[in-house]
Amino acid sequence: MSSNNRPAVDIVDLRVSYPDRDRPAIDGLTESIAEGEVVVITGPSGCGKSTVCRAIGGFIPEMIPAAVEGEILVLGDSVWATDSARIAQRVGYIQQDPDAQICTLHVEREVAFGPENLRLPLDEVGDRVDESLAAVGIDHLRHRETTDLSGGEKQRLAIASILAMRPRILLLDEPTANLDPDGAKSLFDLLARLREERGMTLIVVEHRIRPLLDMEPRVLVLDRGRLVRRRPRERIDPRDMGLRGGGESRHPVRSTADRLLVADRLAFGYDGPLFRELTFDVRRGETVGVIGPNGSGKTSLLRLIAGLAEPDAGRIELRDGAVTGFVFQHPHHQIFERTVLAELRVDGAEREPGDFARRLAEGRLDGLGGAAPLSLSLGEQRRLTLLTALRREPDLLLLDEPFIGQDRRNVDWIVGRIRGHCAAGGGVVLVSHDVALVEALADRVLYLGEAPRFGSPADVFAGLRDEGRTAFLPDFWGGAG
Amino acid sequence: MIERSAEAGLHAATPATNLVLLAGLVGVVLASPSVFVRLGTLGAVLLLAGWSGVPVGTFLRGLRFVLVFAAVLFVAQALSIREGTPLIDGFSRFTDVGLLAGAGMALRFLVVLSSSLLFVHVVDPDRLAGALIRCGIPYRYGYLLILSLRFVPFFRRELRVVREAQRVRGLRPSVRSLRGIRRAIRYTFVPVLVSGLMRVDSIALSMKGRCFGLYRCRTAPRPERLRSADGIALGSVALLAALAVLAARGGWT
Repeated sequence: MSSNNRPAVDIVDLRVSYPDRDRPAIDGLTESIAEGEVVVITGPSGCGKSTVCRAIGGFIPEMIPAAVEGEILVLGDSVWATDSARIAQRVGYIQQDPDAQICTLHVEREVAFGPENLRLPLDEVGDRVDESLAAVGIDHLRHRETTDLSGGEKQRLAIASILAMRPRILLLDEPTANLDPDGAKSLFDLLARLREERGMTLIVVEHRIRPLLDMEPRVLVLDRGRLVRRRPRERIDPRDMGLRGGGESRHPVRSTADRLLVADRLAFGYDGPLFRELTFDVRRGETVGVIGPNGSGKTSLLRLIAGLAEPDAGRIELRDGAVTGFVFQHPHHQIFERTVLAELRVDGAEREPGDFARRLAEGRLDGLGGAAPLSLSLGEQRRLTLLTALRREPDLLLLDEPFIGQDRRNVDWIVGRIRGHCAAGGGVVLVSHDVALVEALADRVLYLGEAPRFGSPADVFAGLRDEGRTAFLPDFWGGAG
Repeated sequence: MIERSAEAGLHAATPATNLVLLAGLVGVVLASPSVFVRLGTLGAVLLLAGWSGVPVGTFLRGLRFVLVFAAVLFVAQALSIREGTPLIDGFSRFTDVGLLAGAGMALRFLVVLSSSLLFVHVVDPDRLAGALIRCGIPYRYGYLLILSLRFVPFFRRELRVVREAQRVRGLRPSVRSLRGIRRAIRYTFVPVLVSGLMRVDSIALSMKGRCFGLYRCRTAPRPERLRSADGIALGSVALLAALAVLAARGGWT
């Protein structure tokens, strides 16, 4: 559907300043988004992408305290001067973590939640529930408990529950960050269909724009609260714009035959088996990339390697004396101290004078030694947790989704650490949904799923291509493939 | 997560009926001095649990601390009462009166806790919130209940992850000194709290984005039909109440 010229959103000289921050989160943004248009907002961490979404949705300053100047008009009405019920029926906001936006315990009740808050008659509530579930293709899940759904199903449910408010504009803040490639692909397909069938305006915060290109989006690049680049739909090249999905260069394989880890006929599960008969190994100097659908046992595999869980069958053996370092998916789980410096010191003494200063500089955290770790940006927290893991000088580094929510600069930094660790003779097990990065970084790939595969990236991806699992192929996301 | 077999037994009864059943069971066991009636009430709870398809193992696991505490109560009460005919009189003295008093107290405790556990097993919080709203209770309180339940598995999972994060960093906070306890609390409490606050922020945005709290009232879900399960549940309460009255009139202990 082609966009018409009526503005869905008009942002005029918007300034948003959070309390206790030196500089505004948004600094003089002016932009007009037409009805039916697809706009991708991107830029480095902390550039103000989410702030723009939350301001358009009317959450700032009502729920999130901030000083605001300028104006935001949604379908002609000021966000700040209009009844919030009216705004909620025009703009729907979908967050990154699907699990964190579900308020009830049943699929049907969740979709009915918004219309019931609007005091609609029961029959209309029922109609909206039916229509929304059908629109996102989860009608068959209507009697299920929300806790039983997969990540992709939860994200669809979140969209259905927003569609039940019948908004004309959808704001999606990194909606695929927690989804596996299949889930992400199916979400992008759904968005394309909603736009096609309903003419909805889509404003999407995303680092990976390659799969969105079919929708001919306009791309806005923010940096430090300012619009630094605006690309019309016909002139988008992810590499040129410093976005992820622009392809990474492969590095030469230089692993040795010296095995750090051997897993033989491994089986593990909770209520049912996650995987069984899993055999693989990790050698010194190599990165093994682990990919697979949500719930296939990727994090559980890292827990087994780290000795945090016991296998149900088979054996998993680390080389004698080998040390593991484990970087969790969410940095705040691994942050314990009051200052960055204390965090680096917490599990050991300074090895040599200037050790900490060198490490802070290495993590681009210089000058932040006295800062509270939890006040750092997500990118800074990620660098800090990786530094603390490396400080233990592990032989085997275990990384669980280290690229989620990270901008290009941080991704490059993490990639540099992984390559450096391998070059120094260490091994890396990298769990990631970002198959393009896995393809670029991994010497061997382990695919966990109904039919696990382990081998060279070329072999594993060729097998997945034969199976028709296109979302797990790097070229789908802009990798070299 | 609590296992539910969708339409079995009390699962099919309305939340209001289950609430009446809970109040009835607790009321009978608190009001009746008869050990016989209390034993009957406990039997009724177990029968209702079985009829509702609650797995015995799950139910007993949920009650394991209650059972231990009930046993302690029984022994303590039995030992503390000296009146009556001695049944065992050696190092410790157990009398018939003491044993009956101990059994009565332990049974009372067991019935209150087991019937509450049964209620949690068979009542769907979403449906309960709907029933409370229909009864005129402000809907915010109903959703407070649902959100609290959404947070239970979340905090359990977060606690596990944080403990594992401590292990992989080689941190084993000692609780042998005040300083160690403070560190242990900080190392565990702060990350879990941060997760909790992040989750609260997200849910609050999600609720606000769907107009929660905008009006004093909201559409209440459709009232539920009474089914045979409601009749059986309410009949059980009536039967136990009648038994309690008979016991009181007949002077049964």
